[in-house]
Amino acid sequence: MSLAKTVLITDDTAFMRMTLRNVIQKNGFTVVGEASDGEEAVNKYKELRPDLVTMDITMPKMDGISAIKEIMKFDSNARIIVCSAMGQKPMVIEALNAGARDFLVKPFDAQRVVEALHKASS
Amino acid sequence: MREKLDFLTELGNIGASYATTALSKMLHDAKLKLTVPQSRILSFSEAANYIPDPEEVVVCVYMRMVDIFDANIAFILPMNSALALAGFLTSEKSEHLTDLGQSALLEVGNIMLSSYLTALSMISGAKLKPAVPAIAVDMNGAIWESILADAGITDFVTVLETHFSTEQIELSGHLFFIPDHDLYEFLSSKVSGFLLEEST
Repeated sequence: MSLAKTVLITDDTAFMRMTLRNVIQKNGFTVVGEASDGEEAVNKYKELRPDLVTMDITMPKMDGISAIKEIMKFDSNARIIVCSAMGQKPMVIEALNAGARDFLVKPFDAQRVVEALHKASS
Repeated sequence: MREKLDFLTELGNIGASYATTALSKMLHDAKLKLTVPQSRILSFSEAANYIPDPEEVVVCVYMRMVDIFDANIAFILPMNSALALAGFLTSEKSEHLTDLGQSALLEVGNIMLSSYLTALSMISGAKLKPAVPAIAVDMNGAIWESILADAGITDFVTVLETHFSTEQIELSGHLFFIPDHDLYEFLSSKVSGFLLEEST
């Protein structure tokens, strides 16, 4: 029996972290940590070494694109899924070029989040 | 001038359609009614007196563009609508705006305003990068004054305003988009071409 995959949630709003946590935990994943900005996400990634990361883009201190780059420098196999309201094509391309595995544009439905987590963890 | 205002109205229509589609999705596909956007080019003194009911308490989610272009975009809800929307999203029953309710409104505002910008980016090719959104609870007049002050308006201001409402919950609100002169000119040149292509 395999252990549940672990997830680090990154979003600057408590409401979105709560929403993602509920979706993720109900679908067989374990939330090991939450970060409210990019800098915290990088530090928690190094500390917790999660299997998967959800990453917002527009955040205080350090934005999501910079955080993806920092995490990828530390671990080139990191599996990061962007969950952002910014669906502009140049930003999607920038995130994928930085190393993100998938890009979900808010508002997203729960099923789409779960599919992205399964796809990124396989 | 008429042509300029028609162009602005179409721009506001596209942006607001994207924003309210996003809101509808968050309200479990609730049907939202949109008014035809109003486009105004106001002098500084007209802009200062533009908002009705300056003493009404409202909740405002606000973003400022950073990077290449400067613009301000805001989502404003009267307090009764803000409480209804927060209650719907969080399942909390409260006569006051809780921390979680405020966080939910900030996220909804962020998603709506980002969708508005995505629409403008899609039709113009411009990268419209916003700073971190902010939320404020204050009187309508005070909120509006601070938006104008932040926009650095000294002579004329271009305002796109859309009103929306839904009967599923007691909700109505306004979207404002205030581009600076450079962004307006850029969008104007790009979007008029796009609209022409669409109509052919």
